[in-house]
Amino acid sequence: MSYYDVDAILTDGEKVPCTFEYDVPYLGHLDNSSSSGLKPGTALSLPLWLAEMLALASAGEDSKAPLTLNLPPCLSDAVVAALRADPRAVALRDQSVHLYGVGVRMLDLFDERELGAVLRRTFVVRAADVGLHARKADEGGIGGHQIEFLRGLEEWERNLFRRAHEGVKGAKEWADRVKKT
Amino acid sequence: MALPLPSGLVPSEVAFLCEMELVTVVPRQKLDSIDLLSGTTPTLRPPRRENLPLWLGLLLKKQRRANIVPPPWLHPDSLRAIIQHETKTDPTGWAPPPLPPTRADGRGNALRINTGEAGEPILSPPFLPSCTSSSPAGALPYHWFELAEMLLAHASDDIFDATEVRALLRDLQEVRAAKMRAIPAQLEAGVDGVMSLRGVGAMELAESRGLVMGVVEGVRKIGASAEAARREEEEERGEAGMDDEPSDDDMGL
Repeated sequence: MSYYDVDAILTDGEKVPCTFEYDVPYLGHLDNSSSSGLKPGTALSLPLWLAEMLALASAGEDSKAPLTLNLPPCLSDAVVAALRADPRAVALRDQSVHLYGVGVRMLDLFDERELGAVLRRTFVVRAADVGLHARKADEGGIGGHQIEFLRGLEEWERNLFRRAHEGVKGAKEWADRVKKT
Repeated sequence: MALPLPSGLVPSEVAFLCEMELVTVVPRQKLDSIDLLSGTTPTLRPPRRENLPLWLGLLLKKQRRANIVPPPWLHPDSLRAIIQHETKTDPTGWAPPPLPPTRADGRGNALRINTGEAGEPILSPPFLPSCTSSSPAGALPYHWFELAEMLLAHASDDIFDATEVRALLRDLQEVRAAKMRAIPAQLEAGVDGVMSLRGVGAMELAESRGLVMGVVEGVRKIGASAEAARREEEEERGEAGMDDEPSDDDMGL
């Protein structure tokens, strides 16, 4: 993903849960609680860019990093099970606006083949639905069910919808233009 | 570059390419042959039918100096047969494109007669005679949608039962668009991520390019880290067994 990609920057800002392993003296303000340091074992929600850097940093000889990352709640077992059952029924935007983006970063950090397979299948199944709605959105009025579906679309899917809709719209505009001339 | 130019052809460009197709025209006035870049047009002596490029045919039609003969596949019966094929006979692929013109040679062989000057067969759409009155019915050529739209817009009185044709074309478009949307799912399930697009139309490609490329990109991104891990494993395995295989550097001299 490029440096200036807005979606990548926003994905970096997503919060992920982490646990601190060491005693960090002056970063107490991150926990909003104490002015003293952070004890080992404190669980925090940090933005992805900070959490990733700290998790991958190694302090010299010992191979233990200052903190450990866990999967964010939007990719928890419950969500993954729901996606495995029926990808279309889950409103992804309610879980996380950048679910696929965060998912890809997590796949980079952890080696989770299953998660990758589930994400891929979800993406492909929902993409077919997105294509159908992109076509229907032009013809006739927008039904309530459609608004509900569009509201639950994650950012990647929203891009897909935009591209599909532009394609269909272009063809229709051309057809109308031909009829006029 | 920050210019968001679309990749591939836009619908108006596709329509422009379609205007190069040859259509059969019934002239109403005499017209001498014109030297065009694509060749010389035949002299028009009514009422003999001749094949002209579509743009010239439409121009003459607008000036009321000619009528256009609709291609045989644009007849309602032909369209109904194609819809039948698309829905019942083959729900995943598209209806096959028209066969190139052939002629029997008396020995039981069918030879192609559409070879160009160099003697090689012409294979690409604006140069195939697939929209003239000699094209086969029951198969949609590459530019079917644009040609049908343009003929319905400018020459609807020449088409047999234009309203029926319009309705059938809309049905056909919906059925084929549904198949196009099912492509990414087929790519997942199929072998090697390759599938045949034989029989698809030009405007359908232009419409669905954004969606299909978006899905393929997304799937690539999701699978990128798994792919990298798989490659590393393969490299490690490859290094272990490298002594047995001949390397590419050995020329065998």
